[in-house]
Amino acid sequence: MKLSGNNTALRNFSALVDFSNLINSSLDLDFALNNLMLTCFGKFHTTKGIVCLVDENGLLQHKISKGYLGEIAEKIPAINASEIDTCEVLKKFKEENNIPICKKLISTSGIVGVIFLGEKITKLPYEKEDHEFLTTIINIASSAIENSQIVAKLKTANRNLDGKVNQLSSLFDLSKEFSGILEENMISKMVVFSVIGQMMVSKYAVLTCYDDEISILDSKINNDDLTKALSGCGLKNISSTLTKTEIEKNNKEIFDLGIELIIPMQIKGENKGLILLGKRISGAEYSNSDIEYISSVGSLAIISIENAKLFKERLEKEKIEKDLELAKNIQKNLLPKKFPKLNSFEISAFNETARQVGGDYYDVVKLDKNRTLFAIGDVSGKGVQAALIMANVQAFLKSICKQNLPLDKSTDLINDLVSENTSGGGFITFFWGILNDETKELTYVNAGHNPPLLIRHGEITKLKKGGMILGVMETLVPYEAEIIQLEKDDVIVLFTDGITEAMDTEMVEFSDERLEEISLKYASLPAYELTSKIMEDVKVFTSGAEQSDDITSLIVKVK
Amino acid sequence: MTDFNVSVREIGSVNVIDLKGYLDAHTAPELENAFDKLIKENRYSIVVNFTDLAYISSAGLGVFMAFVETMRENEGDIKFSNMTENVFNIFDLLGFPMLYEFFKEETEAIQKYNEKVKS
Repeated sequence: MKLSGNNTALRNFSALVDFSNLINSSLDLDFALNNLMLTCFGKFHTTKGIVCLVDENGLLQHKISKGYLGEIAEKIPAINASEIDTCEVLKKFKEENNIPICKKLISTSGIVGVIFLGEKITKLPYEKEDHEFLTTIINIASSAIENSQIVAKLKTANRNLDGKVNQLSSLFDLSKEFSGILEENMISKMVVFSVIGQMMVSKYAVLTCYDDEISILDSKINNDDLTKALSGCGLKNISSTLTKTEIEKNNKEIFDLGIELIIPMQIKGENKGLILLGKRISGAEYSNSDIEYISSVGSLAIISIENAKLFKERLEKEKIEKDLELAKNIQKNLLPKKFPKLNSFEISAFNETARQVGGDYYDVVKLDKNRTLFAIGDVSGKGVQAALIMANVQAFLKSICKQNLPLDKSTDLINDLVSENTSGGGFITFFWGILNDETKELTYVNAGHNPPLLIRHGEITKLKKGGMILGVMETLVPYEAEIIQLEKDDVIVLFTDGITEAMDTEMVEFSDERLEEISLKYASLPAYELTSKIMEDVKVFTSGAEQSDDITSLIVKVK
Repeated sequence: MTDFNVSVREIGSVNVIDLKGYLDAHTAPELENAFDKLIKENRYSIVVNFTDLAYISSAGLGVFMAFVETMRENEGDIKFSNMTENVFNIFDLLGFPMLYEFFKEETEAIQKYNEKVKS
């Protein structure tokens, strides 16, 4: 009898050692639970059992059951672990299902679960030593279960960490790539691939909104539908991420297209674009960490898109500037580089354009042995249009002076031609004259130009004879010419309104009076010195202010 | 900059894309072009062979996401084969096995297409 008692104890002991070895040999939870159950079945000759574990919320969750037909799992009340001993529903459940054994699995950190065992096949009750044996294997099992739960948690944590590392490396990858790319569509491609790859999404759209204009860079949604849905939703006002519930509530049209996440791409708090994403294939919701990732990609992208835009604008601007520089050179070549040497006259000129191309014009052309033509003009407006009209006038002048027509007739003609070519209101103030080197006679026509000053013995006469500004309409009233016999030391000062209307920093004009004053003061100087004096005075006067108009002067002095 | 190469082989009715080198944000558009070309030629049954692919970033994975629906709508698919463990881990991490079929050998993937044709 004693021997048989020892044998039982020995058998129990060896079963415990086996169980302990087995259950601790694996960190797999299901394996541990399965073994716990089978060991109990073998030892107690029962065929029914359930194990529930405590989940992260402290509630009992069915984990494994054997021997029951139908859905036993659903019948177990999801109660708090602390209520196991007191819960009436649980008590009722045990009675209904004929479960005599209900034991808590307790580890060092508390209750990890509970095991239910059905009655023995023999219908005999569980003896005291059965209870003792059960307590022992449960103690062993509990710590094994806890270990495997911790390992499972670690695995999840590790995987989440891996995911985060992957997102970071993808961001790092992108930030390197973005910096070198200046094409908008390439940038949007990279955004799309990185986001849909990382999130497993197949429905998406990337768009920019600059100056209230929406442009879709890339999309897997019908563009017409998308544009229509977007037009009603005040994109500029989306200042933070919109999640599924918010979109469903506030942007029904967009939600109906299958969009579940909208992430703004902002620069300095201003919305420059949006990333729209559909449902994730995995069915998972977008987590905060996902949204952070997409936002980061968006921020990187929008800065690159902005850079690309600025770069493109800069290129275009540079191209225009280069074209204008070319135009300026051409225009400079249209003006005379040197003046003919005359016996009776000195001629000097100065010209400075306010912009790259200007509308002022002057010319000196030797017609024959004795006669020399000189001209000054100012095309209305500025920039390219003025420069083109000026070039046009220059061409007329060059060809017309070969015709050997009287100056007044030539003026009629040149007005007709300019009128024809300046639709849209361009016109020209123009003055020209012919100097006779032998007789010192001046013939001139003034077509609406600021009257040149004829200075003789300290007196100024203004050369006004002529007619209308060129280009307003074709010649109805013929232009009139005036002939003046010049004398030694006479000075003619021709200028454009760029001089008399030049402004100082206080917006005060240089004025006709000041020009007349300085011309009189230095009339005795040679032509080129008088020119410099006038220009210096204008420079001093306007010092610090921006030159707003072309400045031209032409001076003829009689020797 | 980075070394990457895409080439396409035709094996019966199946198109095998061989990838080589580094597939990242920078090189993803090259793979995109290859897919675009296949679609233009109405070739929708694709096996991507990863034997020589050393690295893939999530932008690389994005290309497959961008095209898988088009392929399936046209009774084709994108299947993957011959992945190294490193490359597979990234696909696995981002949940791709849920949506795509992975094969150890290219022939198995081709076989899968051919079975479907027979049945």
